[in-house]
Amino acid sequence: MSEMRDMIVDVVERMLKEKVDKDLVDTVEQGNWAPELWELFKENGMTVVAVSEENGGAGGDIEDLLNIVRLTGKYAAPIPFIETTFANYLLQFTQLQVIEDLATYMLCPNQAFTLENGKLTGDVIQVPWARHTKHLVTLANSTEGAHLVEIDLSQAEIKLGSNLASEPRDTVIFQDATASQVSAVLPPDKVHTIITLNSAFQLALMTGAIDKINDLTIQYTKEREQFGRPIHRFQLVQQHIVNLAGETAIALAAFNNVTEALQMNSQNSEVAYACIRFEEIIQAVTTIAHQVHAAIGTTHEHSLHQFTRRLWSWRDEGASTSYWTQIVATQLLENSGDSLWGYLTSFSASSPLLKVDG
Amino acid sequence: MFHLPTVQFTQEQEQFRLDVRTFLKDELAKGTFTPKCDSWLSGDDPEFSKLIGQKGWIGLTWPKKYGGQERSSIDRYILTEEFLAVGAPVAAHWFADRQTGPLLLRYGTEEQRDHFLPKIVKGECYFGIGLSEPNSGSDLASVSTRAEKVDGGWIVNGQKIWTSNAHLCHYMVTLVRTSPFDGKNKHAGLSQLIVDLHVEGVTVVPIKFLTGEHHYNEVFFDNVFVPDNMVVGEVGNGWIQGLAELAFERSGPERILSTFPLIDELIQELKRQNNLEGLQQASKIVARLWGLRNLSIGVAQLLESGNGDDVSIPAALVKALGTKFEQSIPEITRLIVQTYPTLDAHRKIDRFMAESILHAPGFTIRGGTSEVLYGVVAKGVIAQ
Repeated sequence: MSEMRDMIVDVVERMLKEKVDKDLVDTVEQGNWAPELWELFKENGMTVVAVSEENGGAGGDIEDLLNIVRLTGKYAAPIPFIETTFANYLLQFTQLQVIEDLATYMLCPNQAFTLENGKLTGDVIQVPWARHTKHLVTLANSTEGAHLVEIDLSQAEIKLGSNLASEPRDTVIFQDATASQVSAVLPPDKVHTIITLNSAFQLALMTGAIDKINDLTIQYTKEREQFGRPIHRFQLVQQHIVNLAGETAIALAAFNNVTEALQMNSQNSEVAYACIRFEEIIQAVTTIAHQVHAAIGTTHEHSLHQFTRRLWSWRDEGASTSYWTQIVATQLLENSGDSLWGYLTSFSASSPLLKVDG
Repeated sequence: MFHLPTVQFTQEQEQFRLDVRTFLKDELAKGTFTPKCDSWLSGDDPEFSKLIGQKGWIGLTWPKKYGGQERSSIDRYILTEEFLAVGAPVAAHWFADRQTGPLLLRYGTEEQRDHFLPKIVKGECYFGIGLSEPNSGSDLASVSTRAEKVDGGWIVNGQKIWTSNAHLCHYMVTLVRTSPFDGKNKHAGLSQLIVDLHVEGVTVVPIKFLTGEHHYNEVFFDNVFVPDNMVVGEVGNGWIQGLAELAFERSGPERILSTFPLIDELIQELKRQNNLEGLQQASKIVARLWGLRNLSIGVAQLLESGNGDDVSIPAALVKALGTKFEQSIPEITRLIVQTYPTLDAHRKIDRFMAESILHAPGFTIRGGTSEVLYGVVAKGVIAQ
């Protein structure tokens, strides 16, 4: 990690630690959020990291941004951070203008709007934070193909909805609404790159939550006493601790390798592997954490559910695991002649599969 | 949590990987060796070891004055991966290269280094590791093989067990008790001696592996004289010296890749069948392997940068998780493709399946049982 990145991570983590407590995270469930925290992020330039300076951004690269996203996941920060920053990252990626207001995105390939003469029509469900944000960045299909569009949400009919963690996931309905910006037609490989980037951001968020669940659980085994000693002294609990720490270590290392690969432009395989592996990690981590916390962890009063419920939601938002197993399976099949080992060790070489502007 | 570094291989390292791969491919084509699963423990071939020695690939990281190449431990990591990925027979020189060399470089005398290292590098001198005893398995500090001081050396009496390839080895680094057992300080009074396995009083008796193959042994010591210059490091410091070896022993690619030839053959088989659904299932194995490899390389990088003291906990974790993974491979494979495993099968996948199934029980036992490792990791995590 660069020194610059260490510093950014340090600043953001301190802000989140100081400002975000359980009650603040709970406000999301009442339909509110934390505008003061957003302002603080804004003042510190954190909302425009990885936006180039000529576009009014703070500079920095995708690794910096993904590490901030990871921290917002670790604290379940009730601000549309991933939504706004990834929306802008996409706009920049497709050579459109970045925007200053709060924004969100929706990229599910099988639910896209139709685009005709610059007008958007259709309805899309599970749009994060639509009710609180001003712009939507999304995919739309014209007769020529897929585009990335940016559109003002004031033209939309919004029906409120939420995910398993009670985070806002709204239905957005447009009828002949005017798109503010429309990208050139995106070839399929570029759509795939966008989905890959989306998953990388999602992995960052989930890594943070996994890390937090690990911390909460280890801490609990030290504090909770039964039979006259802290429960970490019991070998069966130790087995949970090791399995949890192991999955967490794999998640953190996977995240670091994914972000580094994105910098090197060869992200395709790493993101795929990480998404496939996170499926198992999330299952293990949430199960172990709840088992170790026992009854108290199943209450709303305890903060564990703020992270386990988010993981159970976030894992289904974005491309599915079967999307990625299919990608890997196809790559293996097309990699004729070479051994699996050759395939596995080639992706770290400098063969830019997909170009990403950092 | 453990913060392990990421590693990007340099151009030179990528090239080194390809050089090793090409060499192994050529030797395979010549019929020099037959690939097998678990080749680092059960694939002993002194001729192959000498060939590797000629390439300069034993003691890769050691100083040039002892015949080494002064390469980084990441280079050695790459080399080891390439050997294991094709199932090359590297067992004969394995422990000398992985453990004895680094031990002597850290704690040995100049005389010991001059005497042993050049021979090890040539692939001509093999070492066994004498730790376990019939009553000291996981509870290693309770070893009772004893060495008594006499004029000019030590007289050793006792017994070691489960010593891999002792029947092929020239020497064994043997953990012995040089002062009586002290219940208050179990780890004191232990020392490491280099015992010549061909001197009077040493008897090596095979213990057949469950397949009937000969891998490990009992080694008996009956008044064996070991000269003073064969003591490694300090008398009484054997426990600490032994612990230093463990991070190297526990976190290498051999804790992930013992059944890799089977994974590769599974993928090849599915490709021949054009079986996209099977490949989708197999992609989960590939993802798990990738996740473990990130950890294992991260530990290697920590060792390379000299942070060896922080590394024993993650190293134990890599072994616990990695061996569980390699053990699971045959059980997953048999649900994806149909096989009939036998050790003399013509079909490669059937033979690799047989080798994997039959060797798998040992993966999570050898070099520290998973139960002991779990205890080590749990305590380390709690102490953080």
